[in-house]
Amino acid sequence: MPPRPLAKINKIDPVELKMLKKRIDIAMALIIFSAALLLTRLWYLQIYRGDEYAKLSEINRIRIQEIAAPRGNILDRTGQPIITNRPRFNVVWNREDAPNPDEVIKDLAKILNEDISVLLDRIRAATENPRYMPTRLKEDIDWETLVAIENKHLSLPGVRIEVMPSRDYLYGDFASHFVGYLGEISPAELEEKRYATYQSGDQVGKQGVEKIFEKYLKGEKGRNYLEVDVHGFEQRQMQLQDPYPGNDLHLTLDVELQRVAEEAMADKAGAVVVMEVNTGNLLVMCSTPPLHLQEFVGGISGTAWNRLLNDPLNPLLNKTIQGQYPPGSTFKIVTALAAISEGVITPDATFFCGGALNYGNRRYGCWKKGGHGTVDFHRALVESCDVYFYSVGMRLGVDNIAKYANSLGLGKKTGIELEHEKGGIIPSTTWKQQRYKEKWQEGETLSVAIGQGYVLTTPLQLCRMTAAVVNGGTLYRPQMVHRITAPDGKVLKTFSPISDGKILGSAHSLGLIRNALVDVVNSPGGTAKVVRLPDVLIGGKTGTAQVVNLSQVGGMSEKSIPYKYRDHAWFTSFAPAEKPEIAVTVLVEHGQHGGSAAGPVAKAVFKKYFELKNGIKTATEGTLPPVAPEEKEE
Amino acid sequence: MVRFDRRLLLNFDWVLIGAVLVVALVGLANIYSSTHLYTNVGTPLYIKELTYYLFGAAVALLIVSIDYRVLLTLNYPLYIGMILLLLFALLFGRTIAGAQRWINLGFFRLQPSEPAKLILVITLASYYYRKETGKGFTLLDLAVPALLTGLPFLLIAKQPDLGTALLLGFVFASMTLFVKLRWTTLATLLCGGLSLIPIAWKFFLKPYQRQRVATFLNPENDPLGTGYHIIQSKIAVGSGLIFGKGYLKGTQGQLDFLPERHTDFAFSVWAEEWGFFGSVLLIICYFFMILWGLNIAISARDKFGVLLAFGVVSLIFWQAFINLAMVMGLLPVVGVPLPLFSYGGSSLLTNLAGLGLLMNIRMRRYMGTS
Repeated sequence: MPPRPLAKINKIDPVELKMLKKRIDIAMALIIFSAALLLTRLWYLQIYRGDEYAKLSEINRIRIQEIAAPRGNILDRTGQPIITNRPRFNVVWNREDAPNPDEVIKDLAKILNEDISVLLDRIRAATENPRYMPTRLKEDIDWETLVAIENKHLSLPGVRIEVMPSRDYLYGDFASHFVGYLGEISPAELEEKRYATYQSGDQVGKQGVEKIFEKYLKGEKGRNYLEVDVHGFEQRQMQLQDPYPGNDLHLTLDVELQRVAEEAMADKAGAVVVMEVNTGNLLVMCSTPPLHLQEFVGGISGTAWNRLLNDPLNPLLNKTIQGQYPPGSTFKIVTALAAISEGVITPDATFFCGGALNYGNRRYGCWKKGGHGTVDFHRALVESCDVYFYSVGMRLGVDNIAKYANSLGLGKKTGIELEHEKGGIIPSTTWKQQRYKEKWQEGETLSVAIGQGYVLTTPLQLCRMTAAVVNGGTLYRPQMVHRITAPDGKVLKTFSPISDGKILGSAHSLGLIRNALVDVVNSPGGTAKVVRLPDVLIGGKTGTAQVVNLSQVGGMSEKSIPYKYRDHAWFTSFAPAEKPEIAVTVLVEHGQHGGSAAGPVAKAVFKKYFELKNGIKTATEGTLPPVAPEEKEE
Repeated sequence: MVRFDRRLLLNFDWVLIGAVLVVALVGLANIYSSTHLYTNVGTPLYIKELTYYLFGAAVALLIVSIDYRVLLTLNYPLYIGMILLLLFALLFGRTIAGAQRWINLGFFRLQPSEPAKLILVITLASYYYRKETGKGFTLLDLAVPALLTGLPFLLIAKQPDLGTALLLGFVFASMTLFVKLRWTTLATLLCGGLSLIPIAWKFFLKPYQRQRVATFLNPENDPLGTGYHIIQSKIAVGSGLIFGKGYLKGTQGQLDFLPERHTDFAFSVWAEEWGFFGSVLLIICYFFMILWGLNIAISARDKFGVLLAFGVVSLIFWQAFINLAMVMGLLPVVGVPLPLFSYGGSSLLTNLAGLGLLMNIRMRRYMGTS
């Protein structure tokens, strides 16, 4: 095939060439103009506003990763560490790194011995987080699991181990309600102003001292400056700023004393409070059953939480400050103080107890059915005669009793720095009017005089009251912390005793009461002879708080009364009698008798306290003459 | 027709070749910088681009060896082939990023809208060469070239690839203005065109295209959505300062903040790493190439050569200008690559073929009229 001829070439007409040239010149001018436009724009971006864009590009690529700071230690009053930190290992999942997530999660579930749906739920819950943010699949794995995961590292792409400082409870559930626990900050907490610097996922004190002193304990987070790509994945570390540990909290608690109290209460539900009478410092804050703090590390499981909620022994309640119980006979201290101070009786005035007092159309019984016979002030307190205090109470009237009770710190919060403290109830005519819109019945005064009826107190309130009665009349605010020190040992804050004022009542009347309380423990007729120690003089008052009306359980033998209907047992006490140092208050829920149930707990605490103080073991009980089985106060 | 005249070798345009080589080498180095962190995608992209360059050089050499006047007989078959390819892409093409632009040839994924640009230039040059202008084109005279442009325009806009479609429009406008238009025609067109804009906005543009324009007018309104490209690109260019962050050290590009950084936003990577200094050099290189191309046009031996060279130059100019203006935030993001510099085989082959045509015209400027 012959090549096709090319189209004929026509030389360009000179006139037209001139015109085309002219148009090419115009095009050139336009092109140069557009080049100038682009160069100007380039100058504007890179020179004129270059610094601004340079800064923007800096922020663009640096991500600041926060490193949790080790929390401050919690120590007892002697400097003994109670709670420190240990590394905690969490399993985290980075979905971006995993090509075959289903298989990996399946394998991981097997290693973690966890149902696969639990892991998938966690992954699903985190779908709204940025893609680079790892999801925590399991917290605080043990050493074996950690080794298993590290060994299978290659077959588990996307799975990483994260190390975080975590609480180490050296004494287990030691003072668990008091120290509280940590947990991941909740969305609601994140809204609060006090947590303004916190971020989702941070650990924060949820209860007790851990929460109250959060700002001292938390420390300063470290910062890891990472260069990241647009997806947020780490490229390299640019700068590391180490975290700064939190401050140490030196509690007023005494490890040894607290442990003795906890051991003595091991099989009981209730509370023990020990306070230094001249400072208000708390040496023991024990509420049983304890919380198992280890369960809270890394978030408590739903089943464990429900178990706690439904436990009839109410382990979630901090009974020292939240448990409100009728004080029973321990309240006779208040009635006695009011009666002498108000002058409605003299110490020598006597009343006759025939086992009951008839008032109106009702019979008010004494716990001792046979009656105490003729009793004066001293014997009435020592033997806890109800009829005596019915009579005294009637003479005083409820409002006078309330006045003294209030001055002793009852019926209102003690002001301890812990949250959710309860104030108890001290009834009065105005209180009843406001609360029930009803007039006060005189008969009700009789119940109040012996600490029953509407009266409710917390163990901490009674302990503080006892301290005020025996320290010369000063009501101290309960203190939990001696001082806060920085990691370098520098003292940041010290706490000195705070007085909430003087109580009502003359020194004379306080002396009379103190003597009577000593005889409660040490005289043959006393209700707490079991507490007696050979070389330390202890004073105290027993109490039994009725849970239900007698008629419901009347006639039943003590053992056959259902647990929840049994009376609460109180014992509030102090020692040494000559110059009191500590006040010890014990409450045993449904313990039935103050002397026999609560007394031995207080005794164990006193024994330990003086052993520690004197550095020697006090004589064992064997040297004491055996105590005759006592009559039981109802 | 294929007799090769030895005089042609003497007329080889070394200036043009030099300029193309500079841009090619710089472009390859830049593609390496923006893609070397991706180690897991088979053949590295700069190697692929180098292969396209070698293949494109062979194509250009083939084009150079054949007198460009052969196109006067081939223009309609080429045009029909182009339309068929565009139809095929639209009906059976591979969808990437929501647009049907690709035809898979097994060894190569062809984007037919790229050669379509050059084929339109050839078609229009042939048409205007044959048509006697006389006192200038009337509106009626423009009906045929407008139809010739409108067909591929619609097919490409339908993919949808508005950037390339508009580019066809710009090339058509440039070439039509270059041949003589009557003043009345020009005035009518201007008025008609302006009044069409709001209608096009309402009925022709897809929502995402409307959004792109809106975003361009105010990118900070939507910094993580459609404004993201413009903002990140401006940060990349601006943070280059005078001498840049250094080769392979541009954080915007290396850390993946910059999208499409080896294709449409390749210049941003360059500007970030080489600064004002390097960017000015590159832009000057482009405009030198473009002005040199106009010089080739006016020195062509015949009017077809003039029109063809002018068409190729306008094609390269509009791509370069739109791309540069786009990455510097002067125009909306429309997806037009920077010729010879952005990664992409179809675009590179097309532009090299176009440059081959320029060379062809240049080399034959003294050849006699037979």
